[in-house]
Amino acid sequence: MIRSGDVRQESSASWTWIAVTLLIAVALKQIPWSGWGLILRPDFLLIAVLFWSLHRPSRAGMALGFAMGLVSDFQDGVVFGQYAAAYVMGVFAMRYFRLRFLQFDAAQQAAQVLPILLLVQLVVLIGGWLSTRPPLGVNILLPALSGALLWYWIALATQTMHGKKAMRQ
Amino acid sequence: MAAPGQLMFARGLKPSTRLLLWVILSVGLGFADVRWGALEPVRSGFSSLMQPLQRAVLVPFDVAGEISGFLMRHRELQQQRDKLLDERVQLNRVLYATRDAQRANTELLALLKLNANQDRTAVAAHILYQGQDWFSRRMTIDRGANSGIHPGAPVVDAQGLIGQVTRVYPSSSEVTLVTHANQLTPVMVERTGQRALAAGGSEADQLELRFVPAHTDIKPGDVLLTSGIDKIYPAGLPVARVLRVIPSQANPYARVECAPLGGVNRARALLVLTTKGANP
Repeated sequence: MIRSGDVRQESSASWTWIAVTLLIAVALKQIPWSGWGLILRPDFLLIAVLFWSLHRPSRAGMALGFAMGLVSDFQDGVVFGQYAAAYVMGVFAMRYFRLRFLQFDAAQQAAQVLPILLLVQLVVLIGGWLSTRPPLGVNILLPALSGALLWYWIALATQTMHGKKAMRQ
Repeated sequence: MAAPGQLMFARGLKPSTRLLLWVILSVGLGFADVRWGALEPVRSGFSSLMQPLQRAVLVPFDVAGEISGFLMRHRELQQQRDKLLDERVQLNRVLYATRDAQRANTELLALLKLNANQDRTAVAAHILYQGQDWFSRRMTIDRGANSGIHPGAPVVDAQGLIGQVTRVYPSSSEVTLVTHANQLTPVMVERTGQRALAAGGSEADQLELRFVPAHTDIKPGDVLLTSGIDKIYPAGLPVARVLRVIPSQANPYARVECAPLGGVNRARALLVLTTKGANP
């Protein structure tokens, strides 16, 4: 499952490399984008963080994601923690699927990274919405929580019934 | 599938636990930021850290601007100059009329013992960059407290109101655009004098009038100006043009959609109207 190239020795230069790419990503976001460019602009910083969490997991972890998220929070002038939480979740998802990712070619990786990017955008969306319109927020998230609770009882019941069936057999 | 890499276990905590901790930290930060504004010093720190980078990124654009300006054709320059001279003549006429009206206005206000508007000065600024966030229709400009900008100052371009300064750093500041959903702008309809509140609309780059009774005399094409009743915006700044008026069956208010007149997403050069001895 693990490829040989995966366990390569990480050179001491890799920190510099990581820092340089992150700096470039931050600078790219600083360019005064406008119009369609702004709408279509990928989140360079997120891409950089995900890339390093895929290829240098021992260096670029959730802490890095969190720190870069704070930079993004500042850049977009939003509440601190909004992008930070989203980036951390992105890194988590990337690490979860890491071994799979490393086996794919470029096109497959691009297809697989899409749901991760969507997840990050979704978390940013929820964060921003909670921080700007708090009164509405919590109520709308409640069905998800109560749904999870309901699921617990259904799953429990199902397992108990199957258990009984198994005992009968 | 052996999902998370083995490396993670070497560090002690399970990845999901660490995810939870980071998320809790993020939520805590957000809470501290929203409720108590506790993180403004951190923002200032970020601002001073990022400033060299912000300037450095703009250098190629400035150089490109210089070069294209240098390469501009002579004929084009002449045409522009002629147009500007024409415009200046027109504007001078308006200026004299305005001065006259202002004098009359001050005298009348003095007669009525009302306070005249505070003195305003304009600070020219450029956009550093614009955020991509859906909830914060904001942008950052290259002037800050060092140039006398204070929170609450209105920001305009040649066509109309763009927004309001909401955060000030030493040498940059954040502008909340008029199209932000929570940004309320007191306006009046130029044609009738009817007052209303404009806020960011449900569609991006649009404004909506809040609480306009369904029978109000307002129609597409009407121009909205700041009414000046909040004493933050000077009266008479162009804000938006009415696009559609949709009477609602369900509630007593009409839905009025407007397009901002200022180049909310286009303008590069702006003016910040600051007040002397301002209180934010």
